[in-house]
Amino acid sequence: MTLLRGRGLGLEISLAGRDPDEALAELELRLGERPGFYRGSFATAAIPGPPGEAQLARLRRILEAAGIELREVVDTDAVPGELDRRRALRAPRAVRLSESARSLVADFAGARADIAERRKRGEASVRRLDPPAPAPEPAPAAPLRAVESGPGTLYHVGTLRGGQALHNVGNIVVVGDVNPGAELVATGDIVVFGRLAGVAHAGAQGETGARVYALDLDATQLRIATFIAADDVPGARERRPEAAFVRDGRIAVVPVQHLDSLGASTV
Amino acid sequence: MSGRRITITSGKGGVGKTTTTANLGAALAKRGKRVILIDADIGLRNLDLVLGLEKRIVFDVVEVAEGRCQLRQALIKDKRFESLSVLPAAQTREKDAITEEQFASIVAQAAEQAEYVLIDCPAGIEGGFRNAVAGAAEAIVVTTPEVSAIRDADRVVGKLRDRGKAMRLIVNRLRPEMVRAGDMLSVDDVCEILQIELLGVVPDDEEIIDTTNRGEPIVLDEANRLRGIYDKIARRLEGEIVPFTNFENNGFFGRLLDALKAG
Amino acid sequence: MHVRQAHEENNAEYEAQPQAGAEPVKRGRAIVITSGKGGVGKTTTTANLGTALAQRGASVVLVDADVGLRNLDIVLGLESRVKYHLLDVLEEAAELDDALVRDKHSENLHLLAAAQAREKDEVDTEAMCDLIDELRERFDYVLIDCPAGIELGFKNAVAGADEAIVVCTPEVSAVRDVDRVVGLLGNAFRPQLVINRLRPALVKKGKMLSVDDVNAILRLPLLGVIADEPEIIVTTNRGEPLALRRDEPTGAAYHAIAARLAGEDVPAPMPPEAKESFFERLGSLFGGKRS
Repeated sequence: MTLLRGRGLGLEISLAGRDPDEALAELELRLGERPGFYRGSFATAAIPGPPGEAQLARLRRILEAAGIELREVVDTDAVPGELDRRRALRAPRAVRLSESARSLVADFAGARADIAERRKRGEASVRRLDPPAPAPEPAPAAPLRAVESGPGTLYHVGTLRGGQALHNVGNIVVVGDVNPGAELVATGDIVVFGRLAGVAHAGAQGETGARVYALDLDATQLRIATFIAADDVPGARERRPEAAFVRDGRIAVVPVQHLDSLGASTV
Repeated sequence: MSGRRITITSGKGGVGKTTTTANLGAALAKRGKRVILIDADIGLRNLDLVLGLEKRIVFDVVEVAEGRCQLRQALIKDKRFESLSVLPAAQTREKDAITEEQFASIVAQAAEQAEYVLIDCPAGIEGGFRNAVAGAAEAIVVTTPEVSAIRDADRVVGKLRDRGKAMRLIVNRLRPEMVRAGDMLSVDDVCEILQIELLGVVPDDEEIIDTTNRGEPIVLDEANRLRGIYDKIARRLEGEIVPFTNFENNGFFGRLLDALKAG
Repeated sequence: MHVRQAHEENNAEYEAQPQAGAEPVKRGRAIVITSGKGGVGKTTTTANLGTALAQRGASVVLVDADVGLRNLDIVLGLESRVKYHLLDVLEEAAELDDALVRDKHSENLHLLAAAQAREKDEVDTEAMCDLIDELRERFDYVLIDCPAGIELGFKNAVAGADEAIVVCTPEVSAVRDVDRVVGLLGNAFRPQLVINRLRPALVKKGKMLSVDDVNAILRLPLLGVIADEPEIIVTTNRGEPLALRRDEPTGAAYHAIAARLAGEDVPAPMPPEAKESFFERLGSLFGGKRS
């Protein structure tokens, strides 16, 4: 389990499966690397078994030094799922949080190896599709795209700067810009309510139906499942909301208003 | 076969390490050498930008170190130069994401596949510098003819000497008119202070900023004189004796020969 | 291990109000001058801005945090006057007063030089913070010259500061590096931007990024723009900051930056502020006239 991760508005510290003293030492080191960075945040600690007094005191000291408020301590052994239940209760907005906290990075390795292979065989460039001619009869209504019912959505307000990354099992929504050098990796969809200029990888565990939406889609590189594309068209582009998805074995991009007329995503 | 492993370093930031790495690598590749460039500036990667390869990055050096992919999967072949490949740095990580041993091991691996491995070193003399130097046997120190840059280069030369690396010097961004006016140190002055063998002198050129912004190494521009200069540097690196262009018009050439003899 | 935290950034409208009972004690401002990219002019900016502020009557101390690669003393022409340096003070091998060097030209300006023969990891972060706090009690402005990069040297330079000035040149690599640093600094620092080495002729020819190009990505409040000129190299080599020449363009530009930093409303001549809030730009996406 990851030692320290962000969850919505707070931090989650997990000591499960680790030697507590080593983990606390590591935590202190991590927090010390960015003095002031977490100031004002609150945290939940997940500890297997009832926590020892000395450990708890040490944890509080470490957090206090970093300006973090320890809101609660959950005994992960006591009631399975208790942690999740509490997370759900604490969520201040209607955002469904991920259930399991597997190490995300390892999961993407397989998908990314495929991407490299694909790239070696010849890159796919982004194809911008023209809107189809209007149908003589009204087309049948496109079926509603199923709303994500598994792991939830990571919701971030603010601009993502170069070198920053958001990874999520689920979808990612960014209200703000994603600057070049920033990275979004989601197993679900990616929505950027702003300019997407970094690297976005949707469907990172192989979901070819995943999509990337942005008000200004100007990504350095787009990845959906194991498909990869970089826009080769230089020069002035029209800035308009677009969506990217996989079509006919390549990544295609359309203006959002034409999504429905193209039908549900086809692979 | 094992290629030469050379780190391009300076101490001072912004003197032209990345531009030098890219252009020297390209010049060597144009001469038919197999070249691998490695960006050691984790977290502040720029080598890919300067070569216009940013959009093609899939894996980076940290992922190679972590075993998530093979070196060959991470290498990006430059389409403009037959035998030039680039191993990009990671952008969303920090310098401590890779150890000296890991870096050295990757450099050694690269050296098995190339005749030249050029490592673009980050600014400074901290962990990133140590990593970049760990894998290399030789170093090219880049400096501009300014007091601050030379002072930093001097510090770096000391550290490289302690580590037993063979060193050569490139003086970058020379402005001969300023040297003549006495407003800038001459190449001789720089060599005198640093006391290492001169590999090349590159004059200041307006075009270079634009080419790095656009990702097109200047050696591609047939009209630009810097192309010839990087080619000469490549040849000197190969062991050829190539006379230095006389920029300063003040007996530079003659005095330089003396400096070379001196060491 | 990399920590990724998604936390809500406050929109200007929803900024938390300062707590009642916040310190009314007047203390100096501790500002770190940083960039990520090396060679963009951090040290030159620190020296010139410090000079300009001092010439305006403020008491200023410049701290060179580039341990091992010190340059601020050269740029001010004070290298022969440095007796003790930052590490001496942090390690209590010397008194602060003995280490502070008064500037040759401006009497309210002092320098705390870095050590040349030491390493950045010898700086104790907490001691550094304490030192900056102490300096804030004595000076109106504490300007910290940050080393290049984002390693320990950077972190220690930033640790004691509560404001930041980021310096950027109109080049893609520099903009990327500065963006990274702004991300690392986080919101607490409210970084402001100085664009250095602009060459308007090249911008016109389309061979250099414009101020707008730079700030389209960085979107920071613009403190000022310094045009490139050969004089700058000459004066840094000689140790005479251009800010001493107030009636020349570069000197005037630095004075304008100092004035803005002090909160004055200094109008152009300077390229119009390029920062557009996200929602203003949004208007242009949906068919607005601006692009």
